[in-house]
Amino acid sequence: MVRLITHNLLACHAKNCTQTKGFPLAFNDVRVETKEAEFNADFLKSFYERKIDWDALVGAAKQLGDTSLPLERPEMVDDDFLQLLHHVLLEIHVEEGEMICPNCKHVYKIRDGIPNMLLAEHEIG
Amino acid sequence: MTIRYLVFFAQVHPEFRLPELQSIAELYGFQVIKPASLPGVSENEIWNPSRPFWVIDLEDEAHAIALAERCILIKSIYELYGHGNTYEDVHSQTLACAHLWQRFKEDTSFRFIVTAYSDRIPMSRQKEIVDSFAFMDMRGKIDLKNPDETFTCYEEYPDARYKTKEDDGKNTLLHIFFGRLVTVGKARALVQKFDVKKRSYYGNTSMEAEISLLMANQTLASPGKFIYDPFMGTGSMAYTAAQFGAFVFGSDIDGRQMRGKGDSPGIMIAATQYGVAPRIIDLCTFDVTRNPLRCGDLFDAIVTDPPYGVRAGAKRLGRKESDRDRRVQKRLANPERELLQTTAQEDYVPPTKPYELSDLVRDLVRLARYLLRPNGRLVFFLPTVTDEYEAVDVETALCSGMEVVANSVQDFGNWGRRLITIKKTTNESFGSPFEDGEETDDDSKNHVPAHKDFREKYFKRFQKN
Repeated sequence: MVRLITHNLLACHAKNCTQTKGFPLAFNDVRVETKEAEFNADFLKSFYERKIDWDALVGAAKQLGDTSLPLERPEMVDDDFLQLLHHVLLEIHVEEGEMICPNCKHVYKIRDGIPNMLLAEHEIG
Repeated sequence: MTIRYLVFFAQVHPEFRLPELQSIAELYGFQVIKPASLPGVSENEIWNPSRPFWVIDLEDEAHAIALAERCILIKSIYELYGHGNTYEDVHSQTLACAHLWQRFKEDTSFRFIVTAYSDRIPMSRQKEIVDSFAFMDMRGKIDLKNPDETFTCYEEYPDARYKTKEDDGKNTLLHIFFGRLVTVGKARALVQKFDVKKRSYYGNTSMEAEISLLMANQTLASPGKFIYDPFMGTGSMAYTAAQFGAFVFGSDIDGRQMRGKGDSPGIMIAATQYGVAPRIIDLCTFDVTRNPLRCGDLFDAIVTDPPYGVRAGAKRLGRKESDRDRRVQKRLANPERELLQTTAQEDYVPPTKPYELSDLVRDLVRLARYLLRPNGRLVFFLPTVTDEYEAVDVETALCSGMEVVANSVQDFGNWGRRLITIKKTTNESFGSPFEDGEETDDDSKNHVPAHKDFREKYFKRFQKN
C-alpha cells in the first residue's frame, strides 16, 4: 500500500507548510510491490477529471521507476489510457520507505505499507 | 401501476428497517411506496416497526429483488395476493387478483407452505388451510424440494417480546398473509460471513457484523464509490463497505489498531479473508483534526464509529492543559532539538489530549461537508443518554448544507447509540473546519446536547448529581 492515488492526495500539513508548498511529497529509500487491483472505469475517470494532480503523479511514478505516463496531461480519455492510469494509480504499492516534504523536509515514514502522517508537537499550529 | 409485496423482516434493530429500505431504493433509483390504507389494518399499524410483516408497493419485481439483494434486515419478499383477519378475506382477495397467479396455473411446479410467526400450526390444520386454496386450481406438478414457485400462507401472532399480561395463555391471531415467494433475503447471510468471532483480526471495540452491514448500506456503498473512515480502528465498516464494491480509505490516530501485532497489517489480513483486500485503497496514521488530505470534495461517503470513550476515548494531537508546564514550553521554544528527538525515533508518538464527544461530532459534520462530494453521506454512531436525549441534540451538530436523512436508535437501557445518516445537500465547496479558524457561526453552541461528556456520564452510570 501507499498507492500513488494516496500519494496524490497527501500533502505535508506541518505548521508553515501549505497544501501547495508541502506537495508533492518525495519518495525516498522505498521498497515497491506491484499488486493487481480491481479495474473500475468510473472511479478512475472521476478521479482523473476532478481531483488528480497530473504533474505530481507523473513525478511520483518516475521516482518509483515507472515512466509509462505521458508528461502532458491527455485530453482524450480512452480505454488504453484508463488501463495505464489504473496501473499507476492503484497497482504500484510502496511498502517501506519515506515521503519527504519538499518544503520543511519532514520525513513521513512508511512501514508495512502504512504511512505515519502524524505531526510532532512543535509542528502543529 | 404498482405491485403489492409482503416483506418479512428479521425482528432486530426495528428502527433501522425503514432507513435501510430507503437507502437501497435511493441507491438503485426507485421508490418504496407505503400503502395509504390496507383492508382490515388500522392506519398506525401500517409499517409498524415492531411487527415482522410490512406491505409495500413497488413498480417492478426487479425492485423487490434489488431490496432482497442488499437489505440486511429482509428475510424474504412475497408478491401479495391476499391478507386479512379471516381466511374468507384472504380467499376473496386472492380470487380478485387471479391475473397475478393465473400464469402459474398450467405447468408450473409448485409447493404450498403454511406457517406461523410466533406460533406453530398443527399438520392437520396446515392441510386444511392448503385445501382451502383449492379454488386456485393449480395443475402443475407439486414439488416440495425444488419448485418453480412457492406459495406461502403466514399467520401472524403477537411477538413474545411484545406480549402483554392480557395476552397470557392465549395466542390471538393478528393477521393472515398469502402470496408467492419472490425471493429470499440474500444479504442476510452476510451477517454470518462478517461475524466478528470468525474474523482473523479484530479488537475489543470492533463493531458487530449486522450493524457494520447496516452502516455500509446507509453509505449507499456500491462498485466504484470512494468511502472514508476517519476513525478506522480495526476496520469493521471497511470490510462491509468493500463487500458492496466500494473502495475504502482509512485513517486512525493510533496506527496500532490498524496494524495489530503481525507482520502485515491486521486490517489487510481480515480484508484478505473476506476477499476485499484490493478495495482497501490505503491505511494512514494521522489525526483527522490535523489531516494531510490536500483537497476536499473527494469521497462519496464517510462512515465511522467515533471512539466515544467508554472502551476507547477519542484523542487528538496536542497536550492536556495540565501538561503544559514550563518545561514543555521551553522544549517547544527549541524546535530544532525537538525535531531531532522526534523524527529520529522510529516509533515516536506525539502527545495527545482527549477529544470531547460533542466537539468531535460537530467537527465531524463539518469535516464531512468539506470532504464529501455533493449528495455524499456521513454515517456515524452517536452515543447518547436515553433520558436526556432530545431531537435538537443532533441538530446542534449540523451546519448549513448538511441534512439528517435517518436517525435510528439502538437501545441499551439508560443509554443508547444513534446511527445518524447525514447527506451533503449543497453543491458549494466548503473549507476544512480545522483550518482558517473555527467558525462559531450559529447559536447551536448554546444548547448542551445529552451526548456531551458522555464518557463521564457513562462511568457515573447516568446518575444525575
